[in-house]
Amino acid sequence: MTVLSLFSLPFVALILSLWSSSAFASSDYHEHLLLQPLPQSSLLASFNFRSNTSQQSFDQQHFRYLPRALGQILQHAHTKELHLRFTTGRWDAESWGTRPWNGSKEGGTGVELWAWIDAPDDEEAFAKWITLTQSLSGLFCASLNFVDSTRTTRPVVSFEPAGDHSAADQLHLLHGTLPGEVVCTENLTPFLKLLPCKGKAGISSLFDGHKLFDAAWQSMSVDIQPVCSADGECVVQIEQTVDMVLDIDRSKRSRSNPIPRPVPNEQLVCDTSKPYNSDDTCYPVEKTSEKAWSLAEIFGRSLNGVCPLTDFDGSSDQSVCLRVPHERGVFISEEANEIKKDDGFTRCFKLAPSVPFDLSIPQQPANTEVPLDEPVLHAERTIVGHGQERGGMRIIFGNPSNTSAVDFIYFESLPWFLRPYIHTLHATITGHDGVLREVPASEIVKETYYRPAIDRERGTQLELALSVPAASTVTLTYDFEKAILRYTEYPPDANRGFNVAPAVIRILDTAHNVPIYIRSTSLLLQLPTPDFSMPYNVIILTSTVIALAFGTIFNILVRRVVSLDEAAALGAQTLKGRILGKLVAIRDRLRGKDTKMD
Amino acid sequence: MTTKTGDQESPQASSSQGDQLSVKRAPPPETPAALQTRFRVIAAFWAVIIFLGFPIWWKTTSIYRASLPIEEMVDWADGKACRPVFPLDIHLATPSMQSFEAQHLLRTTQHTLDDLNEFAAHHLRLKLTNGTTTAVHNGEDNLEYPAKETADTALTVRLLPQDGLASPWSELHAAATQLDIFYPPSQVPVPSSSNSPLSTFIAAELQQLYGEEKATIAHILSGNTAGLDSTSPQLAEDIDRRLRRSMKYAETYHLSFSLFTPGSEPSSWDIEAAVKEYVSPLLQALSPISNFTVDTQVQLYANFAPTAPKPEYDESEAAWTLKKEGLSAFVNAAEWPLNPSIGNGPTINFILYVPDPSQSPLIVKENRASSWIVPQWGGVFLLNPPLSNTGEQSAPSNPSHLSLDSLGPAFMTFSHQLLTLLGTPSTPASLPLRLQTSIRIRAASLLLSASSTMGSLARLTKSLPSIPIPATVATSVSTTLSHLSASCVHLREGRFGAALASARVAETEAERSFFEKSMVGQVYFPDEHKVAVYLPLLGPIGVPLVVGLLKELKRIAARRKANGAAS
Repeated sequence: MTVLSLFSLPFVALILSLWSSSAFASSDYHEHLLLQPLPQSSLLASFNFRSNTSQQSFDQQHFRYLPRALGQILQHAHTKELHLRFTTGRWDAESWGTRPWNGSKEGGTGVELWAWIDAPDDEEAFAKWITLTQSLSGLFCASLNFVDSTRTTRPVVSFEPAGDHSAADQLHLLHGTLPGEVVCTENLTPFLKLLPCKGKAGISSLFDGHKLFDAAWQSMSVDIQPVCSADGECVVQIEQTVDMVLDIDRSKRSRSNPIPRPVPNEQLVCDTSKPYNSDDTCYPVEKTSEKAWSLAEIFGRSLNGVCPLTDFDGSSDQSVCLRVPHERGVFISEEANEIKKDDGFTRCFKLAPSVPFDLSIPQQPANTEVPLDEPVLHAERTIVGHGQERGGMRIIFGNPSNTSAVDFIYFESLPWFLRPYIHTLHATITGHDGVLREVPASEIVKETYYRPAIDRERGTQLELALSVPAASTVTLTYDFEKAILRYTEYPPDANRGFNVAPAVIRILDTAHNVPIYIRSTSLLLQLPTPDFSMPYNVIILTSTVIALAFGTIFNILVRRVVSLDEAAALGAQTLKGRILGKLVAIRDRLRGKDTKMD
Repeated sequence: MTTKTGDQESPQASSSQGDQLSVKRAPPPETPAALQTRFRVIAAFWAVIIFLGFPIWWKTTSIYRASLPIEEMVDWADGKACRPVFPLDIHLATPSMQSFEAQHLLRTTQHTLDDLNEFAAHHLRLKLTNGTTTAVHNGEDNLEYPAKETADTALTVRLLPQDGLASPWSELHAAATQLDIFYPPSQVPVPSSSNSPLSTFIAAELQQLYGEEKATIAHILSGNTAGLDSTSPQLAEDIDRRLRRSMKYAETYHLSFSLFTPGSEPSSWDIEAAVKEYVSPLLQALSPISNFTVDTQVQLYANFAPTAPKPEYDESEAAWTLKKEGLSAFVNAAEWPLNPSIGNGPTINFILYVPDPSQSPLIVKENRASSWIVPQWGGVFLLNPPLSNTGEQSAPSNPSHLSLDSLGPAFMTFSHQLLTLLGTPSTPASLPLRLQTSIRIRAASLLLSASSTMGSLARLTKSLPSIPIPATVATSVSTTLSHLSASCVHLREGRFGAALASARVAETEAERSFFEKSMVGQVYFPDEHKVAVYLPLLGPIGVPLVVGLLKELKRIAARRKANGAAS
């Protein structure tokens, strides 16, 4: 924890400085880009765009920096605060350290949306929520309209409003996730249209759908909240961020020839100390030098000047920052100025307006590395068990700190067809000594909020307040049962499985007063899948059974019972008998003709 | 067969129908009790099917269709239920005339008017009034809905004597529904004469004042084809074009003012003041007709569509020009965020486009205009602000802020475009009169459109017997019809504001009934599907039942015949 506070995160510092300096101007715009090389030849690019509009002009629908489409949606749905996330990929916390923005600007895989809605009661809040999701669905070309009552929860302690709300508003928090949504270019285009400079100037000109969605991890977020100053003057603030981790080698591949080729033999750097090292066997050594890259290579385009709307005061004119050790050489375009910060790692660039900007870093031996903070908590969630009927959930929390316990809220929203048995909630703890101990769950779980599911109406909501002791790993498990869906409830790709939304972990970090969020990966739940010709089979089978039973009973009731020879006599009188008789007669006549011909 | 016959050869064979069968022994005849039992069994099964199975099947597969007054709906659509008439009350104020003189003037003028009028549905009714009171309150109150039973006063004509005139002349108040006519005192008609220059003048003035309105209403009522015979082709074309351009009537319109510019400047405008000064008063005046919401936005870096024709530099004009035929592609609908406002009602877009300094000034090539209307969508204004040279060698740039003064011409144009888009006629000069005219035109067109929606709904329900008709549709239809007739009565009695209000309700309800969701999503079961579901059950069960029934009927018929033969 102390480690964390010493290396003050650039994100936190940035937020705080911007907040205090100019957050209360009536109408302004800021943008900022932070580039940070990460281990394993990755590059984190963290874009941030923030603009304000006064509450008054927002209410009168005079939109300048705040996009009109989004503003009208908020007013129509009486939404006071909105958070929307589009995320793909997985943040590799073990090698990349803490998440950007402490995880507060990212969502679970897919789409995540939560909003505070002003409404007199729950039903009306839900109606407004549906309006909101439908409208956002159209605006962002996402399937947000599928956020229905089964995917909506009302978290109790997991989220806190970030804006300043008036006490008169009756706010309802609603939260919805779409873990199966594939975030793609069609979501980026409307996202860019919301920006005042529209991707034509400033750092947003670097966005390219091909590169962004090719990233190892990316998260787009939109946050809208009212911010009030001490003297009661309020502004509506929209903040859009895009964070992505690009693989440098992968991004440098040219668009025209994107197929990865193996490194030619002579360029391979092999570990010659290995006994098996020979002409055809190579153990590649880890490169000791940092990769060379430039903005134009990584993003496929160069940065197109600055967005002229940013006001040129203080920090905001240095809209591009890079976190590499100061001794590394960085080449920048001529018109730009470099400003090195005191922390020894950060340098920012003052860009000239309407002149393309590029920065490139040559390949250099890495002597010092930018220190990465270790996450406060590791979390991992998996589905265990086998069979089509039952399964289990296993959540592993690891506290890397040797000194302090970590307290957090664990929030899970499960689909209704996954029916957890909370009485089977068990905890095991592995301490410093590495010995596994079974402990009662109540020792780890401080508080529980559980709202059971109702079939086809709402999902399970589970919020746990947990505490993991120092240098320990806690494993929580519980069992669940898989429900059988109705025939029409299966999606077309039923055998792929059903997405279970990621769990949200909110770390109660009192030291910084900034919430830290971690999201687990989303899960895939296999449900028993029927044969989809089933209804017709059922119709035919039951019809056959009914017809058999009916026919037997009906025949017994109406048929006359006679002896065998009597039946033959009767048979001659029936239609069948007469037809048979005629057939025999015809046959005989034909035979007679045949014999005559012969 | 042959072996059987061989085995069962018997001398007592009684049957004589065929050679092979002659040897068989027939069973004894069935007992009446057995016959009766069989009859009862079959009857019981069929009773269950007819009295239980069939009703259940009918009930569960039938579609609810509320009964609609089809005849009445078709009557409305055909115009048989109502002939809209527009009697306009015109008050004649003669402060300086004797009562009998005024009466006589009224009679002769009315006579002349009736002679001039060729469109019976629209006629002017003159009334005498003691001109002092009405003239005062006319300006404001006329636009409000009037008290229930009195007809709206369309216009007050004040006759004022003025010395030293050779012939009468008139003056129309621009902000009130008042027409002042100044006449030489000598022209007061004498009671004996049947005609007088003054009454002819008044009649001609009024006829001219309401000429366009009359032509428009005739055009609407005749179904957008032939108007009045006397209408000049020029006017007819104008009316037709205006009607084609104007928005469909709605309860609420969203006005969206957008500043677009291809660069980064100007990025702010005095929009609040501009809306307050130029748009709000107009919306206030239009409020009896519709509600309006206003929103504004600033959009930078708004480029033309790649397929749109680029502006060309015209040396003679010293300006960049857009070709007239290329204007339809001017608005880059794919990229410019002009999505309609949320909520009911259409959005009217007004675009203020500030061209890039390198392409300034920008005008339309053919007529040097800087604005145009996109029919049923909105208006565009090209604003070419004075360029400022900030740096010595740097390129000229647009001002970063547009002041209220520079927005003036644009917003005057926008308010004019708004009136055009709402279908307000271009004459007469008085705005209150034009708005009154617009109320009548709207009432007429709403009445027609609601009636024709009713007709379409009637045709739809007749032609698609498989769609359900929920009870709400029946309610909506009856509301529509009652409001239509109320509107018709209001029109006949000259209460146009009330007629418009009723017609609005009728139109809303008519649209609601026509676009009822549960009617649109009709249950679709193809016949193959029905066969696949019914046949496996009905085949094996139905065949024994039908055969049993047929046998039994045959037996009963045979017995009847036998009984008849015996007796």
